[in-house]
Parts: sequence; structure tokens; C-alpha cells
Amino acid sequence: MTRFRVEGKGRVEHAEPVNFTFDGRTYTGLRGDTVASALLANGVHLIGRSFKYHRPRGTVTAGSEEPNALISTSRGKGRYEPNTRATVQELREGLVAESQNRWPSLNFDIGAVNDKAYMLFSAGFYYKTFMWPKSFWNKVYEPIIRAAAGLGVSPGEEDPDRYSSRYLHTDILVIGAGPAGIAAAKSAAQSGARVTLVDENREIGGALLSDPRVKIDDIGAWDWLSAQLVELEELGVRLMMHTTAIGYYHQNMVGLCEKLTDHLDELPEGAPRERLWRVRAGQVVLAQGALEKPLVFDGNDRPGVMLAGSAQTYLNRYGVRVGDEAVVVTSHDSAWYGAFDLADAGTEITAIVDTRDTPRADLAREAERRGIRLFAGHTVTGTAGRLRVKSVRVNPVRDGRVGAAVTVRCDCLLMCGGWTPSLHLFSHTKGSLKWDESQNAYLPDHRSEACHIAGAGRGLWSFEAALNDGDVAGRAAAEAAGFEISDHARFAVAQDRPGTGVTHKELPTDRDAGKARAFIDFQNDVTAKDIRLAVREGMRSIEHVKRYTTNGMATDQGKMSNINGLMIAADALGEAPPRVGLTTFRPPYTPTTFGAFAGYHRGATFELTRRTTIDSWAEEHGAVFEPVAQWRRAWYFPKVGESMDAAVLRECTATRNSVGIFDASTLGKIEVAGPDAAEFMNRMYTNPWTKLAPGRTRYGLLLGEDGFIRDDGVIGRITDDLFHVTTTTGGAARVLNMMEDYLQTEWPDLTVWLTSMTEHWAVVALNGPNARKVLEPLVEGLDISHDAFPHMSVADCKVSGLPARLFRLSFTGELGFEINVPARHGPTLWKALMEAGAAHDICPYGTEAMHVLRAEKGYIIVGQDTDGTVTPEDAGLNWAIGKKKPDFVGKRSLARPDLVMPGRKQLVGLITENGAKLEEGAQIVLDPNQPKPMKMVGHVTSSYRSAALGHPIAMALIEGGRDLMGDIVHVPLPGVTHRARITDTNFYDPEGARLQV
Amino acid sequence: MTTQKHNDTDRSAVMIRIEELVPQARFSLRVRSERARVLSESLGLALPVRIGSVERKGEVEALCLGPDEWCVLAPDKRRDALIEASRAAYAKIPHAFCDVSDREVVLRLSGPEALTALTTGIARDIESMEVGSAARTAFDTATVILWRDDENSFRMDVWRSFLPHVRALLDLAQAEFAAGL
Repeated sequence: MTRFRVEGKGRVEHAEPVNFTFDGRTYTGLRGDTVASALLANGVHLIGRSFKYHRPRGTVTAGSEEPNALISTSRGKGRYEPNTRATVQELREGLVAESQNRWPSLNFDIGAVNDKAYMLFSAGFYYKTFMWPKSFWNKVYEPIIRAAAGLGVSPGEEDPDRYSSRYLHTDILVIGAGPAGIAAAKSAAQSGARVTLVDENREIGGALLSDPRVKIDDIGAWDWLSAQLVELEELGVRLMMHTTAIGYYHQNMVGLCEKLTDHLDELPEGAPRERLWRVRAGQVVLAQGALEKPLVFDGNDRPGVMLAGSAQTYLNRYGVRVGDEAVVVTSHDSAWYGAFDLADAGTEITAIVDTRDTPRADLAREAERRGIRLFAGHTVTGTAGRLRVKSVRVNPVRDGRVGAAVTVRCDCLLMCGGWTPSLHLFSHTKGSLKWDESQNAYLPDHRSEACHIAGAGRGLWSFEAALNDGDVAGRAAAEAAGFEISDHARFAVAQDRPGTGVTHKELPTDRDAGKARAFIDFQNDVTAKDIRLAVREGMRSIEHVKRYTTNGMATDQGKMSNINGLMIAADALGEAPPRVGLTTFRPPYTPTTFGAFAGYHRGATFELTRRTTIDSWAEEHGAVFEPVAQWRRAWYFPKVGESMDAAVLRECTATRNSVGIFDASTLGKIEVAGPDAAEFMNRMYTNPWTKLAPGRTRYGLLLGEDGFIRDDGVIGRITDDLFHVTTTTGGAARVLNMMEDYLQTEWPDLTVWLTSMTEHWAVVALNGPNARKVLEPLVEGLDISHDAFPHMSVADCKVSGLPARLFRLSFTGELGFEINVPARHGPTLWKALMEAGAAHDICPYGTEAMHVLRAEKGYIIVGQDTDGTVTPEDAGLNWAIGKKKPDFVGKRSLARPDLVMPGRKQLVGLITENGAKLEEGAQIVLDPNQPKPMKMVGHVTSSYRSAALGHPIAMALIEGGRDLMGDIVHVPLPGVTHRARITDTNFYDPEGARLQV
Repeated sequence: MTTQKHNDTDRSAVMIRIEELVPQARFSLRVRSERARVLSESLGLALPVRIGSVERKGEVEALCLGPDEWCVLAPDKRRDALIEASRAAYAKIPHAFCDVSDREVVLRLSGPEALTALTTGIARDIESMEVGSAARTAFDTATVILWRDDENSFRMDVWRSFLPHVRALLDLAQAEFAAGL
């Protein structure tokens, strides 16, 4: 039994101890503990050092709003996480926890020197101090500041965990499983709606878990909760615990992060650590409750100073007394109840300090009955103690004047500055808020999404009010979702704990307020004086005050600090709080792992990768792959020990000398079918199609409306009304979309249909002088001799017994065929051709050899030799334009003055004088001796070694390039400037004799 | 509060079964909607008119994917006859009848967790899909057609090159069922 554990109390398993370590020391907690509650049970309040001043800090809250108790946790290699909130992390066997932001140790921290110099580190300090000399910022000031400040250390190893994601549709999503949320889920589910109830805690109940004495409909709170659990299940409510609603997006899309394994002793094999849910909800009920505010006074951050409601939670839910001698300081009734519970559990309540002059009579009587000393109309002006609070200064306030202090001994100070309705998710929706004078709080006003707010989230206080409000909200949501609703349930609550309070700026003090370390934002170390300084220095809007002081900008997003900051800024400005405004909360509600956002998209499933049917053959035969659009394609096929350059040269040589085989399946394929197919083709492509005979093919060029080249490919006419269009690999989807767009919006009168056939066909290209010899014996039903099946033909036939669509075309300058077979037969065809080609030393080649072979012929690759600013004329492709056609996409633009202007960049060939290979992307100048910056006249688009030519070749876009044939240009590269001669792009077999065999 | 069971490795096989189906003949049929009825008679098909609905006539299944688009599935042995019927009808009723039998691979997902497995990649509300209906949708950016054949039995037509990615994701989902999470 640990020192501060109360036997038999709380919802922890007293018979199930759980061991863990904190800063290397072993502690024992209980099943159901959080790290924070287990440490508190062992009397440990000091848990970390603060961000800027390195002040000792302890646990302040019992929930996800915790600003101080940030620890690192780990469970074996790679499973290390910084900045885990100790108040949220459930205890598991063997958990390793470490404190952060301290050196050399938590008890003695060198960085605490910052605290001594605190007068220096006020708001805007960095901006003012480290401006000069300017050059020092990047190299000196910023690195030092970054090293000194900060929280946990980033993980350095790859995360071995898996993360999951799912979509969920629900009629009604209830966020928060406290009394309001439970009531809402029940009444909504009774209507027959699909209801999902989520909560970040391990069990339902919310505030009821901290208030077991409450009786609902004559049943004790915790028995009532057990009954609700059964009822919710019977009603088919999907209950999701350990699940935080992190963001509320458009049209009722809510992001949930479910923690699956962080609380488990053992990790199940293959289990994901977290799961991100994308929920589309018909209606949303926000029942997020309210968050307790601290009071702002000197020394309110000392370990042992914590929120009164949280102390009550530690006692009732975890069976942990947070100390032996407590002083309570409050401006709200709620803290009194916690004080009574603690007193009844054996903690001496030395004093209750209430800032109000006349606390509620019934509460005062209860305090008196327990012998608790009462300071009404008092303030707290300081605390003492190095690593733990030892005493507190208490002063009377009369007519605004602070009287003499008395010092009250304590080992914990429980504060309550009232409660802030939690409207973070509502704020994500851009729903508007309204300032409520009586509560000094923002309450939900205009809603922009289909949502309902229930309970303490809209300022209601007391369990009865929250339950009945939840019931109403659940019904309203069900009705709005189109379900039939029944009568209201009326909840009656006995021993309820209603209450009211007042809101303060920083508490009055008899000391110099300018020297008070009265913290507002504990995580970013922002004090009341910082806010006032910001206002003095001219900040008027709360948005500016926030950014100048960093108030509310830590990972807790100011859950504890925003309203206190606002009250002080408003006071300093002499304005009403709503006129000063409120900063907007952003998703995620609590810090969320990158893993949860990435989900399945890591490793092999990082991104969708498309594979052809021949991909596995290539893999088995040692191919090196490269990504091309979404595909992975065989890049080259190195033999053992062969370099890429050697492999590519070998593949090119084999193809030019005998025959090469290439997987061309990734090319986009579109069937254009219908009576108006030819007319459609005439309008889309630059080329004329009317006279193309069935059985013949033509190179097609596609422009955008701007006249620039978008795509190209060989297009076959299968019948009068059917075209087989091929596109580039990367352009397939884009081209189909563009065609559909024109068809549906511009030419709905055309009777023509487009069907994507890319995936239906596997395509194998055979190229080389021996291509026909390899193919011919396998072909049935077609004469593929040069005369019967000339270059640029297409026909359906059988190849190796498979139904095939055979093209004769060439992207290499050699005799070439492309054989299309139904995709399932791709590997069969490939193997048959490899076998048939064995006698001719058939050589598989990859995309790199394909690029070289086409460059030797000057065939362009759209996207490599063009960049979206290249016209057909620029690329030397004017021959592909149907001059007599009345129109085609891009035709009018081709006559624009800037597109016909002389001096446009034109595609030309380049051959270096010294035989060096140029770098793709290299800039080109006419005079290498001109002063810098030099006039760049173009750049290299393609550059390769060429086995066939015996020297490297390049293609380049050069201003007026075709008028400079034979001229020398200069290509400056690091350390050397190459001289290169401008040539035609058709380097190899310019007459095209090799195609006609 | 949450019940968590694990270490039951056979569990996933019971929870969900994923199998690749034997290919059938598949056609993409496009025709102007006002002529669909006449064409369906010529082809001997029943063409539904509501998008997402499926009609069966004999062994042939037709799914309406758009106002002028249908997916037609037939046993392999009917392929040539259907193509012939389309050719014969074309002059009178222009249409496109593309043989896309090899474009997609069909997965059958069945078992109590089949629907959940699909929600790892599909954003639409699968639970609300009527039994006997189908829809074109996306599974983690891969275009698919999802058929709900029964409460817990689905077919998913996946473009062939996307299949390795889709299978890899479904394997990850299956591992979660095996882990009991």
C-alpha cells in the first residue's frame, strides 16, 4: 500500500499492482491508474521542469488539458514518445517514464538559472534582445534559444508500430461520455438511429467518476453507470473509449483518434497502436463538459499546487489523496465539495480561502462541521517551497485593499478559478460564441454545422441539469436526423452538487505585482505581467497579445489559460472581454501522433503503386525499377556486377543489332467508339483523322486550349467508328478526363463514347531488325510481311494462340511491333516471345534504354522534352498538324502573337565537341565569356550515351535553335564549360530506312 | 471498459475471407439512355435504369453506373455471342460495347468483418448500401466497383494494376482482426 492510496477507494483495482519506473526508480501503482495518479499515490508531485524558466513543476490536472506533467514514455526499441501527458497515459506493467527539460537531474537543473533572471525573459524578449547583429540570428541566437527552451527530445529511431484508419458513418455522433453524453446517446438511440458515443477516457462517466455520492433516480452514480453501459449496448450504441475527437471539419466530418495499445501490458502481434477514424455524422452532439481554470497568483505553479476538481478526481476515481495538509483557494463553489471529500478521506484541510466575501451558507456550515478554517473575502499572494509547496500567504481584501498576510502551512494547494465550457470542437466549425456576463464565459451561439451542445459545454452546472439537457439534445439530434422521438426522460438527481462562482483577473496582492510569478499559461511559461506588458507595448487584439506572449500557443492550446489571459488583457485595455475577443481553437483537440495521421500510408503501402502483369517476371530477372507516374517500371536489367551505364548500352546495342523486348503495358489506352468517333478525334487531336483507313495508325498530338503540347501517342483506326488511342503513361487519366470534359460540356451532340482500356491490355513491344523473325512464327490469321502489314498498321489476330491486337510501329527507329493481349495473358505472351527470341539473343530492355533509343531518333517524350510551354512548332512537330481542319483544341492559340514570334525556344540536337555527356537541365549560353549574370538561351532536356552513334547525344530547347544549325553553343557545368554543336534531333538513320524492312 | 481479446490467430479467417474470383466476361456498355431499352432487347439483356441498381437475366448481370453507362457481366461462354449481338445491333442503335474482361480483377470479401475491412479504404456509407446493389467508388484512391451481394458478402472489382496495393491494405486490416483490435 503506497502512502497516499486510500484503501478500497476509487475505480482502480486494489488487488492488481502494476510496476513502472520514473527517472529510473521503480514505483508501484494499480491497474486503472494513470502515470500521474500512480506517482501521486507515491507522494511524487514534482514531475518536470518548465519550458522557459525551468521551474519545477508538478501535476496540475487529472485530464487531457494537463500543461505540466509531460513525460517521455518508452517500451522497447523505437517505441519512445516524448511529451506524453502523465495524466492521460494509463499505467501498464513495465512502463518506462522519464521527466523532461532538465539537466543534470529533475531535482537539480542548471537551466533553472533562467528563473533567477526572469525579469529579463518577459514577453517579446527574444525579439528585442537578439535582433543585432542581424547575422547572429540564424547561427547563434536561434540555436541556443532552441536548445535551452523546449520539452521532450524527438524520437531518433523509426517507429515500429502500425497505425490504422477507418471510415465510419453514423446518424448521430455523441462526443463526451459524461452524464450529458450518456443521456444524449440513450435518447438518440431510442429513436432507432445509429449512434456512436466516444470518449477519451478508458470508461464512461465523465465527472460522475469523480462524484460517486451522487444518486441518479435513486441509484448510486457508479451503479447507474454500470446500468447505462448495459443499456447503451442493448440499444446498439457503438461505444468507443480511449478515443479523442480531434477535429470537427466541414459537413459533420469528425476526426477521431483511438488509442488501441498504449494501455496494454503486452502488444498483441500485428496490432495497430492507434486508429484514425474519419466519421461522417448526420448530427453531432457535443458533450465535452467544462475545464477548470486555475487562479492567477504569485507561485501558483509550484509542485503541489493543483486544480481542486482534479484533486477530487484523484481521490474518488483513483483512491489517491494528493497530500496530507491541503489549503483550498477558490472563487467557485465546486472546490468546496472536493475539500469535503478530501477531509472525509483523512487529508487535513487547513483552510478554505474563498475570494468571495460571503460564501454559500450551507457550504460554510459543512466546513465548520469539519473544523475547517475559513478565509472568506481573502486572496492568496504567494507560495513557498523549493520542489514542493510548503506554505501559502493569505491576505484579507477589503474594499479593494489587500491587508496583512498570514502564512498557512500546507503540502498541497488546491485552486479553482471557475470553469470554462469546452468549446474547442465547436470552435473548429467556426460556430460563433457569445459572451455570457453572468458566467463570465463564452457560450455557443450560432451553429454552422448540424450539431447540438449539451451540459456543462453550454454553461449548465449540476448533474441533473446536464443529464436532462443531454436527453433533450439527443432527442433533438434524432429528430433532425429524421427519426421519430419519444417523450423526454426526466432524471432526478439526489445529493447533486450545484454551484456558482466568480471570475478573476490575477488575484490582488500586497506585493509588487510586477514581480509576481503569477502564471497563466503553465506550458509556455506566460505570466500575468507578460500580458500586461504586451498591452502596454501596443497590442490591442487578443490575437496579437497571444502571439506576442505565446499565451495559449503550447500543445495544450491554452485549455487552462485562454480565459484568464483574456480577463487580464481586457482589464489592462479597460475593455469588456468580448470586445477584446477570443482566439480560435484549431484541430487537433489534443496532440496527435504523426503515425495516426499517416495510417496505413507507410512502408510498402506508403503510396499506391501500380504494377503490370509482367512486373513479377522483371523482378525475378533482376530488374531495377523506377517510378513513372503511379507505376513502377523496369528501368534496366543489369547482369551480375554490371553498372547501369553498361546495362543500358548493352540493351540498346542488342535491340539495334538483333531484337529487344519491352513491357509497354503502362501506356494509356482509350477506345473512342461511335458514329462520330472520327469527328471527335479531329476536334481533339491536331492531326487529320477522316482519311485514316481502318487498319492504319498515325502519330497523334494533343494540345491544351493554350496551344501547348499536352500528350501524344500512336492511334489506330480499328473500324470506321472505332479508334484505339494510346497516351503517355503518366497522361492516361488526364487525357481521358480532358476528352470526357470536352465531350460532356462542349460537344454533347457528338455520338461517341470513351472507354479506358489501359488495364485490359498487356502490351509487349518487340523492336529490332529481327523482330519479325521472332514474331512471325507465333502469329495466326495475319500476314505480317512488310508489304502486307506495313509500318503504322494495326490488326486483330492471334499471337501464340492468344487473342491479340497487333500494331506495327516503332519508338526506336527499328522495325517494331506492339502486341496487345488481354492482360491476364501478359506473362504467357512475354515468355513465349522470350522463348521464340532465344535464337536471336532477344534482350529485355527497360525504360532507360527505351529513352536512349527514342532520343537517337529525336522522338520527344512529353514532360521531358516539353514542359507545358512548348508548341508543335517549337518541338518541330508542325507536320502533325492538320492544316485544313477547321478547328481542333488549341488551334486558335497557335496563331497568338507570342506563339508565332521569332526567337522562341526550339527543340534541337546537341553534340559536344569533347565527347562529354551533358547534364539534363544544364543551361546553355552563346558566349561563355560574357559578364555574369549570363544570358541563358535554353537548356538541355535529354542527354544520353549512345552505343549506336559512339558518342553522347543530347536534345535541348534553344532560342531560335533551328536557325543556329551547326553553330557552337556553350554549356557551363561545375568546373568545366562544354562546347556543343547544334544538330538535327534525328541522330540515327535519318532517312528511316530501318523502319521499312 | 473495452473488452480486448487477442492471440487468436485463426480468428481473422473466420471474421473475413478474401478470395480472387475466376474471371468472367465483362463489358462496358455505353448508349444514349433513351435507346437503352431497345438495345437491351437486341442484346437480350435486362438494363436497370437507376444508378447503382443491378438486374440479372439468366446468367448475365447488368449494373447501371451512370445515365448512359452499364457494366455487363456474363459467363465466358457467352462472350462471343454478346459481341456478335452488339455488332448486329450497332447500325440501328449506335453504342459502345467494349470487352474489358481483363481490366478488373474481382475480389470476394465475406464474413462478419467484411464490411469493416472495406471501411479501411472506402469513404462511402457501405452499411447503408442495399443488398443487391453496387456502386463505383474508390478504395484508398484506387477506382473500384463494390457489389453488395449479401449482408456480409461483397465483391470488389479492382483495376488490375491496383490490386497489389489493395490486397496489401486488406492484409493489414486482416492482421488487425487477428490481433483482436
